[in-house]
Amino acid sequence: MRVGAGSLTTSADPAMLESLLEFLIQGVVLGGLYALFAVGLSLIFGVLDVINVAHGEFFAIGGYLAFGAVVLLHLPGALGVFGAAVGTFLLGLCVYPLLIAPLKRRLGGRPQGPLYLVLTLGLSTFLQSSLLAVAGGDYLRVPPQLTGILDLGVTAVSYQRLLVLTVAALLLTGLFAFLRFHSEGLAVRAVSQNPDAAQAMGINLPRIFALTLALGVALAGVGGALMAPLFNVYPAVGFPLTIKAFAITILGGMGNPAGALVASFVISIAESLSVMVIPSQWQNLIAFAVMIVMLMVRPRGLFGRSVPR
Amino acid sequence: MKPRARPLALAVAGGLALLPILLPHPFVLTIATQAAIWALLAASWDLLSGYTGQISFGHAGFFALGAYAAAAVTKHADVSPWLGLLVGATIAAAVGLLAGFPALRLRGHYLALVTLGLAEIIRLVAQNWMTLTGGPFGIHDYRGFSGLPTTALAYRQAMYLVVVAVVTAAIVVMYQVCERTSAGKAFRAIREDEVLAQTLGIDTTRYKLLAFVLSSGFAGLAGALYAYYVQLVSPSVASAATTSLIIGMAVFGGLGTLWGPVLGALVLYGLYEGLRFVGVVYNLVAVGLVIMVFVIYLPRGLAGFRRAA
Repeated sequence: MRVGAGSLTTSADPAMLESLLEFLIQGVVLGGLYALFAVGLSLIFGVLDVINVAHGEFFAIGGYLAFGAVVLLHLPGALGVFGAAVGTFLLGLCVYPLLIAPLKRRLGGRPQGPLYLVLTLGLSTFLQSSLLAVAGGDYLRVPPQLTGILDLGVTAVSYQRLLVLTVAALLLTGLFAFLRFHSEGLAVRAVSQNPDAAQAMGINLPRIFALTLALGVALAGVGGALMAPLFNVYPAVGFPLTIKAFAITILGGMGNPAGALVASFVISIAESLSVMVIPSQWQNLIAFAVMIVMLMVRPRGLFGRSVPR
Repeated sequence: MKPRARPLALAVAGGLALLPILLPHPFVLTIATQAAIWALLAASWDLLSGYTGQISFGHAGFFALGAYAAAAVTKHADVSPWLGLLVGATIAAAVGLLAGFPALRLRGHYLALVTLGLAEIIRLVAQNWMTLTGGPFGIHDYRGFSGLPTTALAYRQAMYLVVVAVVTAAIVVMYQVCERTSAGKAFRAIREDEVLAQTLGIDTTRYKLLAFVLSSGFAGLAGALYAYYVQLVSPSVASAATTSLIIGMAVFGGLGTLWGPVLGALVLYGLYEGLRFVGVVYNLVAVGLVIMVFVIYLPRGLAGFRRAA
């Protein structure tokens, strides 16, 4: 039985299988990046009830930190990634006390509406243009942390891409283990489920909020450092990813990090396989189309726990 | 506004509006004309998001739709720009109506994300549909308004008057709808408590869709004015940075007042252009800061100062 589009002839099948595999592998690697990005975003939403529009700027900052460490200070690539993680984590620690908490205090118990969205949109504009002011708008090249290519027979994958996937897998495993087994992680989940009850049990809410935000953006920062050799670094590099990650988190169910993980791979694989059917410049449409359809049909997402507020 | 303050405010506004005619400098005229276009855009956003509480992150998309539709019909079908204004507004309003349907089910975050996704789709289509939109280079080489003087300075002056007249008329219409009709009351009721509004017998579906149509239509009108004034429409007008600037202007001016965002747009656009002398990159840093500071500490924006005084 012939599988696939009827227009393809029999003789094209081996080549088609080969490109199918190639696109599939690309999709999985891309999925690792999306997951690093979207899981953090989803975690932040789940715990703080804040959609971080500035998430992509932390991705960009991670890239710039890697550039600074590797190109300007001639440090090894691994230190660049580590520096990006620490730097974005520390920066992320400031966001809650400096921006979110004051707005929360002003609002008191009143409904927040979309004010946090507007606030983080302001942060995004501020960070992005600050990067532009400090580093300029040039595309900066960062040497890969790993060089060389793994030959898989049908296709080849650069070690850098495998590194992205491996680090993503390790970090996300670590994150989920932290959430599952560590007492702080337990506190994070408790706050995510019921902030008031968690506070009544003696959990320090501001501390958990600040920590969660920092963890989430640090994941994006690491992603930025790892992707810098593949994408180049410029101030707006992260913003399109933010928009795409919104689509992913909606597909996975907002505030559900595990759902975001699955949805990352669904979107990335759909995108890379789509190249076989539609022109490649249209592949970025897929995520948004999925998002809009999902919001109209099942707003809670594939694995969502609640309907939107 | 207090009744006795109104004639004075109108006189001051009228005097300021005539200033670029009395001091005809090309640079002043350019900034004043564009500021007026931004004022209309910020007011259109305020009608939907400030009055009705339906936060749109996609107004750059409606603006771009109006601009592209106007430029395209004039370039490809030789439609008169006077009619093109109507075409731009109508097409944006039609798409706004479509965007309004998911809004019937979605609130807050989710609506913002859908409209952001919609704007991103519009940007991608603009970038990739070469035959209609000219792709990354955009649409150019189409005629402007007929019947205006041909000498450079007189043309700019006439153009300024046309833009200010259209913008003023549009803002007066929006103001009348929001402040003088039952629709305006319904908009505010939906913003304050949608469920309560429904139980009071307000047809929330109808009024939400009306707010979407009016808001996107006027944003499209602003886009059409922009297209005929700048004589170039490129995909970047649909970028999230445009939306960010619109929201910044509205938040700066004070949500839910219409004249606040208009004032905010005029001041912030002046600041934005004025800061070009300091350095091109610092203007958006300032916009980001303005958004954050005003959301947290001055939620009523510039409009709030009048109330406090």
